[in-house]
Amino acid sequence: MTAGAVAARRRRPDLLPYLLVAPLALVIVGLAVVPAVYSLVQAFFRVQPLDPPTRFNGFDNFRSLAHNSAVLGSLGNTIAYTVIGMALTTVLGIGMALALQQRFRGRSIVIAVLILPWALPGVVEGIVWSGIWDANVGLFNSALTSFHLVDQYQVFLGSNRWLTILLIEIVQVWQITPLSALLVLAALQNIPDELYEASALDGCSAWSRFVRITLPLARPGIAVAMVQALILTLNVFDQPYVLNGAAETGASLTMQTYFISFQNLDFGAGYALSLLITLATLLLSWVVVRLVYRKVEF
Amino acid sequence: MARRALMTSRHPVRWFGVAFILLWSLIPLYWVVNVSFQTDAEVGSKPAHYLPPHPTLANYKALLSGAGDIPDQVRQGTFNIVVECTVSTVITVVVATLAAYAFARMTFRGRDLLFYGVLATMALPAYATLIPLYRLMSTAGLVNTYTGIILVYVSGFLPLATWIMHNYMVSLPVALEEAASVDGASRMQVLTRIVLPLAMPGVVSTAIITFLFAWGQFLFPLVLSSDISTQPLTVVITALQGRHEVPYALLSAAGVLAITVPAAIAVALNRYVVNGLLAGSVK
Repeated sequence: MTAGAVAARRRRPDLLPYLLVAPLALVIVGLAVVPAVYSLVQAFFRVQPLDPPTRFNGFDNFRSLAHNSAVLGSLGNTIAYTVIGMALTTVLGIGMALALQQRFRGRSIVIAVLILPWALPGVVEGIVWSGIWDANVGLFNSALTSFHLVDQYQVFLGSNRWLTILLIEIVQVWQITPLSALLVLAALQNIPDELYEASALDGCSAWSRFVRITLPLARPGIAVAMVQALILTLNVFDQPYVLNGAAETGASLTMQTYFISFQNLDFGAGYALSLLITLATLLLSWVVVRLVYRKVEF
Repeated sequence: MARRALMTSRHPVRWFGVAFILLWSLIPLYWVVNVSFQTDAEVGSKPAHYLPPHPTLANYKALLSGAGDIPDQVRQGTFNIVVECTVSTVITVVVATLAAYAFARMTFRGRDLLFYGVLATMALPAYATLIPLYRLMSTAGLVNTYTGIILVYVSGFLPLATWIMHNYMVSLPVALEEAASVDGASRMQVLTRIVLPLAMPGVVSTAIITFLFAWGQFLFPLVLSSDISTQPLTVVITALQGRHEVPYALLSAAGVLAITVPAAIAVALNRYVVNGLLAGSVK
């Protein structure tokens, strides 16, 4: 390139990169950043389209949430969904990853089957599992009867709050565990074989290999898996909505956001609740990363 | 020696784990397929039929070629979900690829701010912007239009798609691109002739993951589509499930229709799904 051409380049700013990123920037600013900021501001406003005007009302929306018994009930339900979901997803994910850690004939087929539930729509999975938990036609009832564990069909969903939550959360765990297993598996495959060979020569038991080598070295993968499980379980909507409807025995906080905003048309309170869920998600994700994540280098 | 023993060990615990994965993933799916091949009377039997006693396609025929309110809605919902997923996938992949190329291969003012700003939006839970997006679409007159739903999908899936494409492009060797530009190729020619062919596996992964995410959407289209003209199959089926007169066998057949496409993609193209998910999550 001649000195003149370089100078010409300097004078004329290079527009191509801006053209390439412009559509992305436009969509993200217009449909993510602006709505998020708008939502943050409106949480402190009274917004009721059927009963104007819209005006600043400080923390009134938050106060109304604190006195809303449906919201408080859903807070308990959501904590239960999150705790059960994260525990089951993490344990199952690590277990499944361990089963797939070593190569064997047909492993790629098993992985294809493993990711199947992840790829399907949550609400349709709710319908699929309603065929299992159902009080009249469910597989679970049928199996219990066939094995003579119960005399007659039982109502599982909607009768006992914690049982309902457990059964609904199993459906979500079914959907999100495949990704956890894959993330942990990817971390396991980075662990050098030499470490296992050395431990075998030293006569380590399988359990101590797992606790001393596998678990600590898989922490980056486990941390990412736990964060994704946290975000999804804390924001659970599809499965309780399909399996248990608006019933208080299983409604989640995200469902309350929907009911408050789109059925009660109290958008201000909806913004406030959605802000609280977002803050809780970010804060707890940070806590999980701090507790579980460790940088691992080989 | 130790290595061989370790790598070929037929640990019974391991095979128990593999058997568990297969049963855990497949039993619920087997069950919905099983029910969809039964008549409604057979579905009511206690205990249930673990195999369809007289396998029938009646439920599928009723949905696919039957007349009436429910089949019409299921067919319209199927059309809608295909349109919404396909168009939003194409737009997402094109926009993400162009931006990822700029982020991966060019230096410009504001690059890092924009790149990390886009990624930061992934930390927000998807539903954080549900209400403002609804009100925005409502003001713009885009509620109950394909455009509204597709715009929301694109905005939701772009950060992950950009991230996957960026990671893929960064992993490609720069030497070929430099050779091409020394030979006088413009930067857009380098993108279309050199980078894109090499990045094709990444493009496919991104497209598949975006499509599967779009196919799984429920709450956004529930809010953004007020009637059957734009409601995707997920919303239609859930509405049917809420109407208690809809027979369970028919509902199961509709459920099978809704999972056939994503299940086929996940199984047939699982390598791309796995690579895309890992490229999008780990780093």
